[in-house]
Amino acid sequence: MNTYVLSKDHLKNLALELINTGYKVISPSKDGRRFVAISSADDLVINSNLKPSSVSMKEFFFPKTETLFFYKRNKDEYDLIDAAEVNQPQIIFGAKPCDTSAIPIVSKVFNWDYKDEFFNKKVENTIIVGLACKFADENCFCTSVGLSPVSEKGSDLFMIPLTENTYACKVISEKGKKFVSNHSKIFTETIDGKSININEIKIPEKRFESKEVKAWLDKNFNHKLWDKLGENCLGCAQCAFVCPTCHCFDIVDEECNHTCGRRAKNWDACQFEIFTKHASGHNPRNEQDKRYRQRISHKFKYYTEKFDEILCTGCGRCTRGCPVLTDIGIILEDINQLAKESISNN
Amino acid sequence: MKQLIDISKELFESKQVGYIIGYAEDKFKRVKPFVAYSSLDTERFVFNNNSVNNLAVYLTRLPKAKEGKIGIVAKGCDIKSIIALIQENQIKRDDVIIIGVNCNSVVNQIDEQFSKENTAIKCKYCQVRTPAHYDYLVGEIKEVELPEDKNFAIMQKLDSMSAEEKWNFWEAEFEKCVKCYACRQVCPLCYCEQCIVDKSMPRWIDSSATTKGNFAWNMIRAFHLSGRCIGCNECERACPAEIPLSLLNRKMGMVAINEFNYRHGTDINQPTLIGNYNVNDKEDFIM
Repeated sequence: MNTYVLSKDHLKNLALELINTGYKVISPSKDGRRFVAISSADDLVINSNLKPSSVSMKEFFFPKTETLFFYKRNKDEYDLIDAAEVNQPQIIFGAKPCDTSAIPIVSKVFNWDYKDEFFNKKVENTIIVGLACKFADENCFCTSVGLSPVSEKGSDLFMIPLTENTYACKVISEKGKKFVSNHSKIFTETIDGKSININEIKIPEKRFESKEVKAWLDKNFNHKLWDKLGENCLGCAQCAFVCPTCHCFDIVDEECNHTCGRRAKNWDACQFEIFTKHASGHNPRNEQDKRYRQRISHKFKYYTEKFDEILCTGCGRCTRGCPVLTDIGIILEDINQLAKESISNN
Repeated sequence: MKQLIDISKELFESKQVGYIIGYAEDKFKRVKPFVAYSSLDTERFVFNNNSVNNLAVYLTRLPKAKEGKIGIVAKGCDIKSIIALIQENQIKRDDVIIIGVNCNSVVNQIDEQFSKENTAIKCKYCQVRTPAHYDYLVGEIKEVELPEDKNFAIMQKLDSMSAEEKWNFWEAEFEKCVKCYACRQVCPLCYCEQCIVDKSMPRWIDSSATTKGNFAWNMIRAFHLSGRCIGCNECERACPAEIPLSLLNRKMGMVAINEFNYRHGTDINQPTLIGNYNVNDKEDFIM
């Protein structure tokens, strides 16, 4: 597929055109801390050096609260009313590989035994424009989970900085190709994709071997490591709610008034004590160490077994935002170290 | 640091403590909470401008020590929450050994270098850089330059707003709430065994992160902390949505000071504001 050259002016014009034609145009906010829907092309932020936003972009596919349907009491019966269908096309700019790759990863669980039409519809309606990443701090570990600062996974179009003001824009998917042909006034100049120099982009060193981590997890459901991890963790859901791949949700009915209400799908998190609490009062994950073990195991063992994907993109958000700085990267390095020791001991 | 480690070692060697909650650095030199279970563990203890956490939260979260008391390293502000927990009968004074630290203020953004600009706002109006209550005191007070108390100006502005303007301000802020409850989990005074938002039979508060649900949660928490919040600002620091929760809590704290001349967490023998009836209490705000 083709690779185009886009200047910052091209991108601004494109954003303007999209806003005017009814697209929800999503970009990192000016301070880079979150993804926001912008109403002016001047607010478009394309910057490879940005730190990953503190909150991921998942809310544009999987909102923190989403109405599934409304209900209304009609004498002794209830009428069900579909939630308004959201058909607005959206486009996301400035998403790093650790953001974009999350979409195909979680699509697997949202299309496993039941097809989640709410999630799928939004993915279908979205063009994801990935951006090569030049940021890396001690919390990043994309290369340890099979990704890299130039991974195109999950992107429809992928941009790589060429000069200060220009970007190469690679077409990745069929959806991306169609989008480009619909905006052919912007996408005019092409270059040879192979000629793009990506050597300037520093590829961080691998911090752990995810296969070795999984092998250790397979055998160490009970291990003293977990006790220590549960001790510091305060049991909030910051890590899960800023995570691009955490996807657990709760279904609740809420009243609008005494005759009507709505059924909603809300973010939920395995670090909450009530997450696994049974109606009987019994709680199989009654302590924080068990809950933290679940977080690591779901991401690096269970999901890998079921869907052949690691449920983590190495973005480091959970660490940066953790009130007690629990560092998942260090924990995985420690697990890898334990795994190596157990191999050499045998 | 040596002073802190020496005292901690002495506490273990004399078998006075079962564990000590303090701060240690990880391999990237980041300061985080650390529980020492032995004299050897205490060698990792540090205290500096990055010791932001209020460790008092662990007093009600960790199991009791098998033998001995619980030792805790605490700044002046954090000690106020320890006193508050004693006032509220959650812990006994005899159960804890407080290693107070003279504090030269802490950072606002933990991933940036400490500087005048990068100083936590709460340090600006701190009156307990040398703790008012402790068993041991370590560290030295240095002269520090403090940042402008920007929040006070915002509070004054909020006070002058109409009800509708206030509503709009808080609606925009609460809109960002994702209901991760980090504010609750880091709060030493949010120790309810079952939080009202987790009660589902019946459900009192919408669990959805809608305007209604977010208002209900944030207002309930502010009410529950009225006259109780000691202003450690951990909730605001922990909030991934960056909601300025301290504005609410500080306002309620100022009402307690101005209307009832009450500051929580200053005297272990003082009855709490909400838990005590006084015939001289004002009631002009009722009707």
